[in-house]
Parts: sequence; structure tokens; C-alpha cells
Amino acid sequence: MIELKNSTKIYELNRVDKVVALNDISLSIKEGEVVVLKGASGSGKSSILSLIAALSKPTSGEVIVDGKKISKLSDNFASVYRRDNIGFVFQKYNLIPSLSVRDNILLPLVPLNPDAKDAEEKLALVMDMFHIAHKADAIVKNLSGGEQQRVAIARANINNPKIILADEPTANLDEKLSLSFIEIVKSLKALNKTIVIATHDPLFFNLDFVDSVVEIHNGIIS
Amino acid sequence: MILSPEVLTLFILNALFSFFATIAFILSVKIFLKWDTDSTCQAQYRLEKQSFLTATIIKYIFIIKVPLFLFFIFTLDKISGLLTGAMCAAGVVNATTYGTYLVLLKILNLYLFAYWLALHNEDMKHEHQPYTKIKFGIYIALFFLLISEIILEGVMFKAIDIEKVVDCCGAIYSSSAGSYISVIFRVKASLLLTLFYGNFLLITILYFLKNKYIFALSNAFFIIISLITLISFFGTYIYQLPTHHCPFCFLQKDYYYVGYFIYVFLFIGTFYGLLTGLLRTSENEISKNYKISLLFNFLYVIFLTSYPVLFYIKNGVWL
Amino acid sequence: MKNKINIYLIEFAINAILRQKYKSLFVSIVFILLTFLLTSVFFITNSIKYELNSTVDALPEIVIQKTEAGRQQNIDVAEVDKILAVKGVSDAIARVWGYYYFENAGVNFSIVGVDKFENQYKSSLAKIVDTFDLGEADSPLMAIGKGVHAIMQKNYYKEYFNFIKSDGTLKKVTIAGVFDADTQLESNDMIVISKETFREIFNMPQTKATDIVIKVANSSEIATVVSKLRLMYPNSSIVTKESLKVSYQNIFNYKSGLFLALFIISLFTFFIVIYDKVSGLSSEEKREVGILKAIGWRVDDVLREKFYESFIISFFSYIVGVGLAMAFVYIFQAPVLRDIFVGYSELKPSFELPFVFDIQTLFLVFFLSVPIYIAAIIFPSWRVATLEADEVIR
Ligand SMILES: Nc1ncnc2c1ncn2[C@@H]1O[C@H](COP(=O)(O)OP(=O)(O)OP(=O)(O)O)[C@@H](O)[C@H]1O
Ligand SMILES: [Mg+2]
Repeated sequence: MIELKNSTKIYELNRVDKVVALNDISLSIKEGEVVVLKGASGSGKSSILSLIAALSKPTSGEVIVDGKKISKLSDNFASVYRRDNIGFVFQKYNLIPSLSVRDNILLPLVPLNPDAKDAEEKLALVMDMFHIAHKADAIVKNLSGGEQQRVAIARANINNPKIILADEPTANLDEKLSLSFIEIVKSLKALNKTIVIATHDPLFFNLDFVDSVVEIHNGIIS
Repeated sequence: MILSPEVLTLFILNALFSFFATIAFILSVKIFLKWDTDSTCQAQYRLEKQSFLTATIIKYIFIIKVPLFLFFIFTLDKISGLLTGAMCAAGVVNATTYGTYLVLLKILNLYLFAYWLALHNEDMKHEHQPYTKIKFGIYIALFFLLISEIILEGVMFKAIDIEKVVDCCGAIYSSSAGSYISVIFRVKASLLLTLFYGNFLLITILYFLKNKYIFALSNAFFIIISLITLISFFGTYIYQLPTHHCPFCFLQKDYYYVGYFIYVFLFIGTFYGLLTGLLRTSENEISKNYKISLLFNFLYVIFLTSYPVLFYIKNGVWL
Repeated sequence: MKNKINIYLIEFAINAILRQKYKSLFVSIVFILLTFLLTSVFFITNSIKYELNSTVDALPEIVIQKTEAGRQQNIDVAEVDKILAVKGVSDAIARVWGYYYFENAGVNFSIVGVDKFENQYKSSLAKIVDTFDLGEADSPLMAIGKGVHAIMQKNYYKEYFNFIKSDGTLKKVTIAGVFDADTQLESNDMIVISKETFREIFNMPQTKATDIVIKVANSSEIATVVSKLRLMYPNSSIVTKESLKVSYQNIFNYKSGLFLALFIISLFTFFIVIYDKVSGLSSEEKREVGILKAIGWRVDDVLREKFYESFIISFFSYIVGVGLAMAFVYIFQAPVLRDIFVGYSELKPSFELPFVFDIQTLFLVFFLSVPIYIAAIIFPSWRVATLEADEVIR
């Protein structure tokens, strides 16, 4: 399903300074698997998620998803690929703070010029699924961290993607909310979604439904 | 030289177009020479970004050009009030040697820009962007046509002499005129009408046969025969005057601006008709183009036919 | 067809405009100012053009005035018979008229003397003579235009007016009534009195007149008549309606030409100001676009959204600008701005700008504002739409 082949990611800060974020990484994830990327801060976890989401391109090597070389997609088609395949729950959620919950969740549908009825159905479905329906008209910036995260998860799922990526999902949550997030992951796995979670939260390391834990160290899988 | 606010507005927009079109031209040349979908180097990413800018500029120019063309005709109509002898835009077009070429060039450019957009839309649907090199290549040629149009427009307005007496459309579009236009009056109306309706019938049949190349070709003919019959036959019924043939007067208020509808129908109908043969795209898209083409050509035919028919019902005679 | 309007995108665009409150407000105000100014100027010039054209149309074909050393002198009434003898002339009428400076109000009235038993040289005058009684030599009456009426009222001349004669004594003339002429420019400063009264006030002898107007039955003969008159009166100025029209138009074109030069400058400024404002992207905006691209918006989608935004702003500002201009010109009579166009308004009683609605003006203003605005946002929109999502949302 997801395959990184000898991928290297180098950020050029300026002409002289470079950061090697990922160094010749190869990784393979099968459909329906839950994979946890584990590693210290700065080890390259987010960079891997970016590559899988086609948000950035590898400096060398390739990324293949569903048999398609996404590391070669043009800007437009990378977006189309994300729209159709990826639900990304970002580290900082990346919601638009002054919009309401429903408007935020609907954002991925907007450019598709959806039918009002169709859009409302999809919206109701994900809002129920992630328990945020009661806040539908609230403005996002007034919500608590846990609620914001549920909005982000609902938005990631509105297009019913095959792949869910989550970056440090429990970094801003207390233990109770973290556990309920784990429940959400479990339910998503039950829907046969492929899930990749980047985290250094030990809560994730001994879960029975996690298929593998991959440890990253300074851009290298160890 | 006429420098009314309308003409000045046209000049200002033309200056704006020239500026943006030149940027798009420079970028197009770069893209045309260096585009390589397989490359993953930085230069290709930059080109990709620039291709968005170029396409946006071209879209912008086209989107403004369409209503501006109507405004251009509107302006000619207005100027005709200042020229002794002219009654409508036809007089102004005929006042200088450049007028006719300018109008023809403008129409040609509209078709070409619309084609460019269709090609661009098709191109953007595919991951490997198969038409990128071609479309920017076409734009390079289109740029020169656009600039010629802009220069010609400037020259034409400069050449208009307010003092000079010009012909009115009645004289230009008459069988006694010495120009190429008079030729169409020598052909029998019945023959022209047979060709006109025959051509439309052919388009309808080809619509069902789905032969796209002949369909496109018959649309090309349809443009010509439509304009000829419009001048020689249908126009007289719009004016209800057997001697008035002008293809501009009915753009005026006195005739409820029907001319704009007539020309828009003809443009859309024939443009999509031509597109079926000139753009390789999905079956779905092609059948959509077929439908739009037939619909608008049909509207054009019905709309024009209604004039003589209604005239006959009301008066019991033909003109 | 699938090309229906995307309501969700419109909603998002409106929200985006409201999010950027100050920027949107600034851009709208600049836009409104421009359309307001352009529309006002076009409305005013249209109205004045209309007035001038109707005034000129009402003028006689040929006017002959005697000049000495370049200054106008009174002409002998006896010349009328000589002129009538010229072939092609159908009528010749001696006119007595002049400007009377009313010091209290600081305006000029144009005073026309008429004789009700003579032919009048234009129909509006004939109508006035038929309607109003102009009295006798010792109890004179006058008909006055609306503008004159207003000024006299202001200066407490409600029933009569005292003219100061050239010898310094007063001549009291009673107001018979107020008339409405075809055009405001014409009627506003006009006073109609009898010829005798006129001669008394202006101290003009019976044998003299101000000028002679000549009618020519066949308009194609005007040129030959004029050349004959030139031979007969080498020292006189002979003015035809056509030449007046051209000189009016020229004054006017010069003025609007000057304004158009100013337009180009203001349009250019408009472009630069908008460009500058729109291209200053806040990190907030960049982040927003980054988010949109990260969740699957294409470059084209972002561009389209930007286009919607600018279309909404320009449409709104255009409507407001044009609406304001309409109120400013036709309801408030364009204070300040009209004086620039009506240079002589200081000396003449003011007139109303007639409502001349020309839809083409609206198109004109549209093409002078919206495309320029959209052109100004092309670069900034493109730059933000092609941002690397990955870099701005981190
Ligand atoms: N856009 C960028 N420009 C320059 N350097 C970057 C960029 N993005 C990431 N890096 C660098 O690449 C390295 C890996 O970053 P990455 O975000 O993948 O780490 P991470 O494992 O997600 O860390 P954290 O747990 O803090 O999120 C870091 O050293 C980081 O500074
Ligand atoms: Mg990270």
C-alpha cells in the first residue's frame, strides 16, 4: 500500500547549511495496518508523513502509494491525491480558527462544488462518528484542545480516505483524552483504513492492534 | 484621430494586455523549450509554478477580451455618430483600410483563445500534462496575433478622420458596392438558403453519426454560410427592409440588441463544433461538445428563421 | 452541466474577505473612490454635453456682428433690408440683447429685448412673447428665467427689479412671470423685456441693434450666403451654428482630455496601490492557503477562490461607487466637481445638471476599474497559490 524506497530528504537552509532529515529510508506498510513511527524530537517522523502525503518530495528515492509514484506528482495532482486518499491530522491541527466547526470540516469538499444534500450527509456522518455534532456551529478558536482535535479528525475523514496520517496526536491531550483518541484509532482500523501515527508518547508502544512500531533515529530507521 | 473616453479605455486595456501578454510570452518560451515532465529537478518545479502564472494570465486576457469585444463594437457604434455618413459600426469599420482586418483578426483571436483554454483544461486533467508543450507553443504564436491586433487597433483609431465623409452601411452592404461583399448579392437567395439549411441538416446528421472531423469541418462551413445568409437574407427581415443588409445595425438599441445574441449563439455553436475535431479528449467531453454545438447552432437557426416566418404570418408576403 | 456556481466557495470567499477586515476595507474604499470619481466625471460631462448640444441646436443658422478693433459694436438696423436682398436668405432679424451685471449677487443676466409684432428668431422666445405681457414704455413688465427668479428672490426683489441705467438713474421693471425654457443653460440667466425698455436701460438708439440673425431656407446654401456676407461686411464677424458647435466641442474635448490624462495617472496609482496592498501577505494568510493545499485544494482551486474574493469586492465596490456618484451628481448637483467643468459658472446663475442616463457610461467605468483591479491581483494570488504547503503549515 505505502512504500518508501531509499528515500532521502535534505532541507537546504541556505547555500552552505543542510539538514539531512531522512537518510536513505525504506519502509513498507500494508493495507489496513496501523504503524507507529517512534522517535525523539527532530528525528524525522513528520518528514516521513509529509512524504507519504505528497506534501513534500524526497530529495532522492521514491514514494509509492497504491502502485502510484506520488513523489513525482505535480503540485495540482499532489493535491488531488491528498484529497482522494489522505486524511491528515496535523500536529497543530491546522484548523482555520475563525470559522465554525462545520465550515472547517467541510473545507476539503469546497473545491469539489458538492451538492448541498450530499455535503450535509457526509458532514453529519463524520460529526457523529467523532462526537462533535453538538458543537457544529461553534467557532473553532473557542474550543478546547480535545474538541479541536476531534474537528481535525472529522475533517480528515470527510472524504472517506484510505489512509490516515496523524502527527503527534496526543501531544496536547491529557491521559483521558489520549485514551479516547486510541479508541478512535481502533474504530478507524475496524473500517480497514491504513493508519500511520508519528509520536513519542509511550501509550502507543504496547497496543495490541498496532501492527508495527518503527523507530527512527536521526533520519534512519533503527 | 479620435480620443473619446471609450477609445482611451480600449487603449488602456490594450496596454495592460500587452504588458501581461509579454510576461506570459517570455515564460511560455521558457516552458516550451525546457519543459520536461519526467524531470524532478528544481528547475522543473519552478517551471511548473510559472506555468500556472502563464495560464492565469492567458485566462485573464481571454475573460476580459470577450466582453471587451462587445464593448469594442459598442464603441464603434458610438463613434459612428461623430462621422458624417456613418449610421452604425459598419461605417466606422469601413472608414479606414484597417477596420475590416481588425474585426476579422479579433474574431480569429477569440476562436484561438477559446481553443487555447479548451486545450489547457484538457491538459490539466492528466497527471503527465500531455499538452503543456503544445499549448505554450500555440500561445507563442497567439501572442504575435494578439500584439498585431493591438497595434492594428491603435492604427485604426489613429487613422479615423472625423472630417472625412464615410459610407453608411446601406452603401457598403448593397449589390452595387464594388467590393467583395457585393458578390454575395449576385448569388440567388434560394441557393444560399438551401446551402444554409442543408449545412445545418448535415450537422444534425453528423451529430448522430458522431463523425467528429466532418462535424468540425461542416461547422467551419457553417460559420461562413451563416454570415453570408445573415447579410443577404435574414438581415432584411430583422430590419423589415428589403434593401438593408447591414450586419452591424441590429447590434443597436433600435433592434433590442438582438445582434449580440445572434453572434453569441453562432460563436458558441461553431466553436464547440470545431472543438470536437480539434481536441483529443475523453468520450464524455466530446459528447458534451457535440451537444453544446448542436444546441447553439439550433438556437441560431431557429432564432433567425423566426424573423422571416413571423414576417410572413403578419404580412402574408415575403420581402 | 457541471459548471454551476459553487455556493460553498462563495461562502468561503466571503468569510475570507471578512477575516481580512482591514485589507478588504482599504481595498474597497480605494475602489469605491475610483469608480465614484470616474462615474461622476462621466455623468457630469454627459449632462453638460447634452445641455450644450440642445443650446446650440436652438441657435440661429448665422449671426452677424459688427466689430471695430476687435470689439463688438452695435449694428445699424438698416442693414437688415440689405441682407434680406441677398439670394438664399429667407429671413433676417435684428436682435437687441446684452449682459447686465447684477453687482449684489455678482452674476450676469442676459437680457433680451423683443417686439411682439416681429418674427422671433427662435421658437422658445416666441412662446414667451405669446405667454407674457411685456407692458408699455412707462409701466414695463419682464419675463424671467428660473435661475434669475431664484437670485432676485434671494435679494428681496419679489415683484419688481431696479435696473441701473447708464446715466445712473433707476428703471423699475415689474416681474410678469417666470418661464421654463428648453434647456437650463439657456433659461437660467435670461430676462425677456420689450425692445423699448431694453433701449432705455442700455442707452441704445432706435437705429441700432446688437446683432442680426439670418435664416437660410436651404441649409446647403449656408456656405455661399456666408461668403457673400463676408464680401458685404468685411469688418464684421459672421458666426455659423456649425462653427459654434465645433468650437464648443473643442473646448469640451480639451477639458475631458485633460481629465483623461489624470485618469491614466489615477488608474496607474490604483493598480499600484492595490498591488501593494494585496501582495503584502501576512503569515496568517500564508498559513491558511498552506492548510487548504494540505487538505487537497489544488493551485487552481486557490486561484479560483482568490478570483471569487476579488470579484465580490469589485462588484460590491463598483455598485456602491456608481450609486454614490449618481446621488452626488443628480441629487446633490456635484458640488466642487461641476465647477471644474462649467468654468463660467461663477458669472452665470447656476443651472441644474439634467439627468442623462447612458448605460454605456456604466460599461465604461466597469472596464476602467474591474479589469485593472483583477490585473493587480494576478501576481499576488499566483504567489500565494503556489506556496509550498509543507513549509507554511509547520
Ligand atoms: N522546512 C524545513 N526546513 C528546514 N529544516 C526542516 C524543515 N522541516 C524539518 N526540518 C528539519 O528536519 C529534521 C526532521 O524534522 P521533523 O519535523 O521530521 O522531525 P520530527 O521527528 O517530526 O520532530 P518533532 O517530534 O519535533 O515533530 C529536523 O532537524 C528539522 O529541523
Ligand atoms: Mg514532527
